[in-house]
Amino acid sequence: MSGYAVLGGASYTLAHTPDMVLHNGTTQTTERVVNPESEYLKELPNHLRSYEEALSYLPNQVYIGNKTPEDLAQMEFPYYDKKTDGNRTGKFGEIMSQSEFIGLIQICDVFDVVKLEKGFAQTIKQTLAEHPLIGAERAAVLDKNETDEAEIQRLVMEEEAEPLYDGGTLVGAVKRAHDIDVNLSAHVMLENLVTKASSVLSLLHLVQTTGIDPGSIEYVIDCCEEACGDMNQRGGGNFAKAAAEIAGLTGASGSDVRGFCAGPAHALIDAASLVQAGTFRAVVVTAGGCTAKLGMNGKDHVKKGLPVLEDCIAGFSVLITADDGQSPQIRTDIVGRHTVGTGSSPQAVIESLVTDPLDKAGLKITDIDKYSPEMQNPDITKPAGAGNVPEANYKMIGALGVKRGEIERKQLVEFVQSHGLTGWAPTQGHIPSGVPYLGFAREDIMSGRLQRVMIIGKGSLFLGRMTNLFDGISFVIDGNAAAKAAETSDAAAKEQTTSTGAGLTEAGSAATVAGTGTPVRIGIAASGSEQGPEEYAEAIRLAGEKGIQVVLIDGENAHEEMESMLESGQIDGAVTMHYPFPIGVSTVGKVVTPAKGRGMYLATTTGTADTDRVRAMVRNAVYGIIAAKAEGIAEPTVGIANIDGARQCEKALIQLSEGGYPIRFAGSSREDGGCIMRGNDLLQASADVMVMDSLTGNLMVKIFSAYATGGGYESTGWGYGPGIGEDFDKVIMIISRASGAPQIAGACEYAARLLKGDVLNVAKSEIAAAKKAGLDDILDGISRPKLDQAEEAVAMPAAEVVTAQIAGIEVMDLEDAVQKLWKENIYAESGMGCTGPVVLISEGNLERAKDILRGSGYIK
Amino acid sequence: MDLENQKRVLEYYEQYGKDDLVILLGAAEGEAAGLAAETVTLGDPTYAGPLAGVSLGLDVYHICEPEVKAEVDEAVYDEQISMMEMVLDVDDIISEMNAIREQL
Repeated sequence: MSGYAVLGGASYTLAHTPDMVLHNGTTQTTERVVNPESEYLKELPNHLRSYEEALSYLPNQVYIGNKTPEDLAQMEFPYYDKKTDGNRTGKFGEIMSQSEFIGLIQICDVFDVVKLEKGFAQTIKQTLAEHPLIGAERAAVLDKNETDEAEIQRLVMEEEAEPLYDGGTLVGAVKRAHDIDVNLSAHVMLENLVTKASSVLSLLHLVQTTGIDPGSIEYVIDCCEEACGDMNQRGGGNFAKAAAEIAGLTGASGSDVRGFCAGPAHALIDAASLVQAGTFRAVVVTAGGCTAKLGMNGKDHVKKGLPVLEDCIAGFSVLITADDGQSPQIRTDIVGRHTVGTGSSPQAVIESLVTDPLDKAGLKITDIDKYSPEMQNPDITKPAGAGNVPEANYKMIGALGVKRGEIERKQLVEFVQSHGLTGWAPTQGHIPSGVPYLGFAREDIMSGRLQRVMIIGKGSLFLGRMTNLFDGISFVIDGNAAAKAAETSDAAAKEQTTSTGAGLTEAGSAATVAGTGTPVRIGIAASGSEQGPEEYAEAIRLAGEKGIQVVLIDGENAHEEMESMLESGQIDGAVTMHYPFPIGVSTVGKVVTPAKGRGMYLATTTGTADTDRVRAMVRNAVYGIIAAKAEGIAEPTVGIANIDGARQCEKALIQLSEGGYPIRFAGSSREDGGCIMRGNDLLQASADVMVMDSLTGNLMVKIFSAYATGGGYESTGWGYGPGIGEDFDKVIMIISRASGAPQIAGACEYAARLLKGDVLNVAKSEIAAAKKAGLDDILDGISRPKLDQAEEAVAMPAAEVVTAQIAGIEVMDLEDAVQKLWKENIYAESGMGCTGPVVLISEGNLERAKDILRGSGYIK
Repeated sequence: MDLENQKRVLEYYEQYGKDDLVILLGAAEGEAAGLAAETVTLGDPTYAGPLAGVSLGLDVYHICEPEVKAEVDEAVYDEQISMMEMVLDVDDIISEMNAIREQL
């Protein structure tokens, strides 16, 4: 698993509240104070839409998921004078009528401040009892109403209650919750109950659309722009928990996050981080809408003869869960921030939110398929003189791309079209801020139509008069890494099942070498197995079943023959044991982990990537990434086994990642997280690539592959893996003397997949990229143990063929041992056998060399 | 123009006088730029703010006009303005600004 939290689903709801436009929108309430006889107030009621008109308004149908942003983009502007199919419910939510919404407000009122006229309440109770998500039990709350219209009138006239109208008729009132405290006045109580009710409606839809067990939601974060509390703690809060209670999320606690319109984006990053850290497994971000903003641009709409388009209270909820292996992941490592020091010029803002995080991740502006900034509906904003808000954002992002040379100036219009969206969201501040797209983005990423989207939230902090600063935060959502890997292996499996190959050396048609289309041929150079020749026969049969052509290379000089066959192209890759790789090369093993049966790369298991342990581990990480990428994991997660040097290795890898070779660090499954992996992480494969020194890796392959057999027979996995290193240009896989047929066949399959994925070129480009990001300097920065400097430089004797090996030399002393032999005029090379470092010499020099090394204490 | 900004313009006018004051606008489109320019020259056309019926006749330019651009350090302009210059309809802004100045 990747370790990222994922986007489990989103819901979007509207409540059509035309009477609240008249009585609760601040544009109207202000006008009533300043200019009670104004033409605007007289004309306004003629511009209110009916419920049916609100249903058939295309942007509303896009909001609840019946229509798509593409449908909207195709409709000729403006939208208000056109109609679409007016469905009440959509895949993301619903559009509720005002009367039902008033009933829901009372369901959300636990302090008995809402009074409804008895007859009205009974009618609404019936409707709400039949509502599939509200139901009879919640609707029974409305039975308590005994109030008649005269009493409601009295409450409004004498006790400062806020009237509730439906179709111009007084149907109820919200009383004040305290006689003196303005924070509990009827006005504030209504405003807060409306936001709570619309949040509850969205939560109910979220549970339905995602199918999540409501009791399994552990935490709810509310991100609306209201405040609840009393005079002693005016913003005391917890709309989140209040709404969770009514929505039946019995296992949830919660809290409120605020940041004006940027609130939702902040809350989503909080939620994803809580899940990624392992604090909670399922977190919901939710927000209700705002009565104050109803009819905010009403004056312009009325003046231009439009209906009042801001007539709906909106809400949304988003589910963030631990990685389910399918849903798009929230990339908490690609986050943009407008900081205190960023500055306020549009250019600085867009750089901080868009290009800074992309630069860090090594991505270009065009690598994001869709941007979702402020998604305000231009039908509302354009007549009010605020222009097309999303389009203005896309132009700025595109213009920055032009400045950076990532797109041509003349491509600007095309960029806005292909990377942008037409806005459809109501203008309720936080509601349009990036989040309206999450529902569609999830679907489009999961269907493979899009790779990556960026959500951008911006907030005008100066409205609160505490700072003049602007604010913004952004993050990237991309496809699930595990889902992508599964797709790759599914495709490979499908290819393999088409093969008819069943015989020992029959060709399978499917497994082919990258770029050639020819079937993969693997040679097994077998000598010295403890398992006997029938094990190889069985392995070749198993590999044949997977469509891989295998030839057995027998006899004394199996390695030499294998090398010449690789050289001549008779075979594409080889599986062997005891192969001495040059220093700089080590092998990336692959094992089945017991907890979940997941495969895991062990980087590395034999060979020596570097004579210094920590430096070797840093190189091993790159080699592990190469193997995983060649096998189709686009962005493998990397963890470091908790062994001596792990922290130094981590530091170096972070430096490398920050230098421009992006590494996706895995998160430990343990509570304290981090990319340092403990025993349980190894058993669970918390990382795709597990980094360690090759001696530890060697132990691990043995333990994972033979723990069920008692150690004598390695029955599972893919073996010790391919030798990878700078300039190493062959695919040679290592197995051991104890490797059984399934593991040998696994090694053949691993080789075939690497060849299909063009591993040698992947290695070349990855190593080049790591070097460009400063690999060599980083390695130089890791202190190398002091070699014996007293030894003067020794001239190398004439090279000769070296086929004999001396084992048992400490890896740190290996180069010194070679120098020692050179000094005695014996040509020697350092190498790595499967049990550790070796010195290679000619057969003729073997005994003399042993004596010399024994005499100097290198071997016993 | 925002009432608060009108008030500040009037205060600066009283403090520094007409000859030592230039108003620089950053409005995102021509109409808004024109309205702001009108406010600080002929007076507030909406008759809502402190400059209603007050003709200050101040020098006023938009940041994207060539006269202003020529006065700004090229690197600073590139860092702060060039992106928006690409986004905005600069020709429309210039023609709106000229239309107001011609009325003086």
